[in-house]
Amino acid sequence: MAVEALWRSRGLRNALLLLLLWELVGQLALVASGALPPPSDVLIRLWQDRADYPGHIGATLYASTLGFLIGNVVAVLAGVAFAMSPLLLRLFRGINIAAFALPPIAIAPILTLTLSGMAPRVTLAALGVYFVTMTATVIGLSQADSRTEDVVRAYGGGRWSRLWLVQFRGAVPSILAGLRIAAPNAVLGAILAEFGGGGRWGLGSYLLGSLGRAEPDRLWGIGLIATLIAGLSYAGFALLSRSLLGSTRAVTLNTAVPAGQGPSGHPLRRAALALAAMLLPFALWWALIKLSGAPSMIAKTPGDVLDYLFFASSAASARASLLEAMAQTLPITFLGMAAGLAFAFALAISTRLIPRVTEAFMPVALITQTMPLVALTPLLVLILGRGTSLTLWITISVTFFPAFVTLAQGIALVPRSAEDLPRAYGASRWTEMRMVTIPASLPYLFAATRLTVPRALLGVMIAEWLATGQGLGNLLNRSRGYMDYGMIWSVAAVSVILSVAFYQIVVLAERHVLRRLGMATTE
Amino acid sequence: MAWAEGISIAEVSKIFTGRGKKVEALRDVSLTCPAGSFTSIIGPSGCGKSTVMRIALGLEKASGGEVRISGKAPFEATRDGVTGVAFQDAALLPWRSVRRNVELPLQVLGRKPAAHADQVQRLIELVGLGGYENALPGELSGGMRQRVAIARALVTDPQVLFMDEPFGALDQILRRQMNVELQRIWAESGATALLVTHGIDEAVFLSDRVVVMHAAPGRVVDVIDVPFERPRKPPLFSDPAFHKVCDHVAEVLHGG
Repeated sequence: MAVEALWRSRGLRNALLLLLLWELVGQLALVASGALPPPSDVLIRLWQDRADYPGHIGATLYASTLGFLIGNVVAVLAGVAFAMSPLLLRLFRGINIAAFALPPIAIAPILTLTLSGMAPRVTLAALGVYFVTMTATVIGLSQADSRTEDVVRAYGGGRWSRLWLVQFRGAVPSILAGLRIAAPNAVLGAILAEFGGGGRWGLGSYLLGSLGRAEPDRLWGIGLIATLIAGLSYAGFALLSRSLLGSTRAVTLNTAVPAGQGPSGHPLRRAALALAAMLLPFALWWALIKLSGAPSMIAKTPGDVLDYLFFASSAASARASLLEAMAQTLPITFLGMAAGLAFAFALAISTRLIPRVTEAFMPVALITQTMPLVALTPLLVLILGRGTSLTLWITISVTFFPAFVTLAQGIALVPRSAEDLPRAYGASRWTEMRMVTIPASLPYLFAATRLTVPRALLGVMIAEWLATGQGLGNLLNRSRGYMDYGMIWSVAAVSVILSVAFYQIVVLAERHVLRRLGMATTE
Repeated sequence: MAWAEGISIAEVSKIFTGRGKKVEALRDVSLTCPAGSFTSIIGPSGCGKSTVMRIALGLEKASGGEVRISGKAPFEATRDGVTGVAFQDAALLPWRSVRRNVELPLQVLGRKPAAHADQVQRLIELVGLGGYENALPGELSGGMRQRVAIARALVTDPQVLFMDEPFGALDQILRRQMNVELQRIWAESGATALLVTHGIDEAVFLSDRVVVMHAAPGRVVDVIDVPFERPRKPPLFSDPAFHKVCDHVAEVLHGG
């Protein structure tokens, strides 16, 4: 208790110091000749603009709340279905990975094309929460105490009574933790849809509209409000789960090994399942287009996109511009991601050597977790201008923080005793690091990489869309202007496929490496 | 209170298949527990003694042989609430109070807990937890949690009581105390009891008969009768006659 209070007061002190530094830097206009206004100016501007905010906040809150509700209902139902049927989970693997890995900005334009009104924003917000809550539900349900399940089974309890009496209540903490992370995602989704969809109201629209004018203090004000909304939604669920968790923590460790979930059945059956999982997202895409009844000129099916890229008369030039955009986007995505991960890994490893680093840095990193970071790209445009360095820094910043949090928390789980062992034989700090900490943190490095793949692509594409005039993001934005619907769908499809493919590569590498090292994946 | 027939396990075998390999976990295991008797199964780790119980409870399917509990197949017996069960770990639901944990089997069987309120209260008092009805498992000690599990096992008024190392996680002193209490509770309930354990003195103290198993494959090597009169009292633990029986069990257990 006392330690916690100390930690908090130190966090508070650091935050205050940071704020003071910011004020100083802002007052002296040290950064990019006034692109970083002092907090006092931001607050004053916020007050002057107070009449504008209710409408914008209302629109964003409406879309994100509705999306949050819809997305979570779908996610929990899907999670229950997946937990009960491993077959279903495997069949939907493609759809689930796509839902996780798709860069929201890439599909914002196609949502705006096929849906109307608030629907695109709600959909994107719902998509932002789906994966997080679905995963949390599946994990929560399948981590249920197998011994208590045995008790229920021993009285003839079936699948449903186990689900209802044991699993569901036991999954509540996990689901709440999922909701906590999902809440800022909903806000981010709504804002990104506002970027892509136009419309008068919404914080995203406001941010985009103010980007053209040289008013850094207003931009920072909007960023502050967006962060505040996301942060408050996070804090709300954090409080809720804390008040509920007290009685829910298991009193003993579950030592029983859950039933094996490894690959089973005939190789042919497994291959058929994998193929079905791969095709299902495209089938869903096709079905949604057919169901929506949107005109075929605007709404393209997978077949239309193939046609546009390979068989139509303009296919060659379309392919050329798509490939050129990819050649601009991909290298910088990889570079930024690698740099972000490397920084995060170095810092996280060093926290074991110098614990004070984490202590000082963790609060900042945790706060940025709840910030709709990518939605604040306009702020970075102000400071860094519109060049390539902007893209790189955005990518690094959106990958660094989540990677650091994942790694630092993972490394904190490495048992002290494991590190004490080499030291008991007189090993140096460095040897201990090399022999224990670094190998033990490998699973978390992979987890962090998986986590950052879609973020990196999203960051790059947003920077391209809003500022640099290059790459896939720009191609997407430009095609909107030309009403080149085939290209909009092609870019969306290609960026989702790229993201999924890269994610899959990381997963395969992870399985291979960790299996060789005899470790479990954190997947 | 004599029931139709206790437990009869006839030539039960179990083969586990995993990763293309077949492991013979049980070979021709047969044992009969007369109604109202107390039987223990003792054996080294991995001899399949828990598997025998899981098969009898219908949690696991036998590869061959037959199990009858009060004349019924395992799934019928569990469905009809004929059996009660306690595992090595109390396995309580952490968010339910003592009372609600004890009520769990009633709920699973679709009986109204309210109609059995007296029974639940009686059992909580029987295991010595009167006054703790509304406590959460997290607030109880390990021994108290285990007693909740025993009360839960008895709540359906079972004809047959299965226990899989119910005191395995307790220390020696507490374990003896619980053994004495269990004997009293069992005698009051009149149920047929089958206890899986690897404590020799626990098995001898509690049982009418001790079934000794060996591993690889799991099989019954001997059944040893325990002649002491009931109720058995704690001084029995230091009786030379008691030690003689224990030594005999140990001898059979270690391949004598």
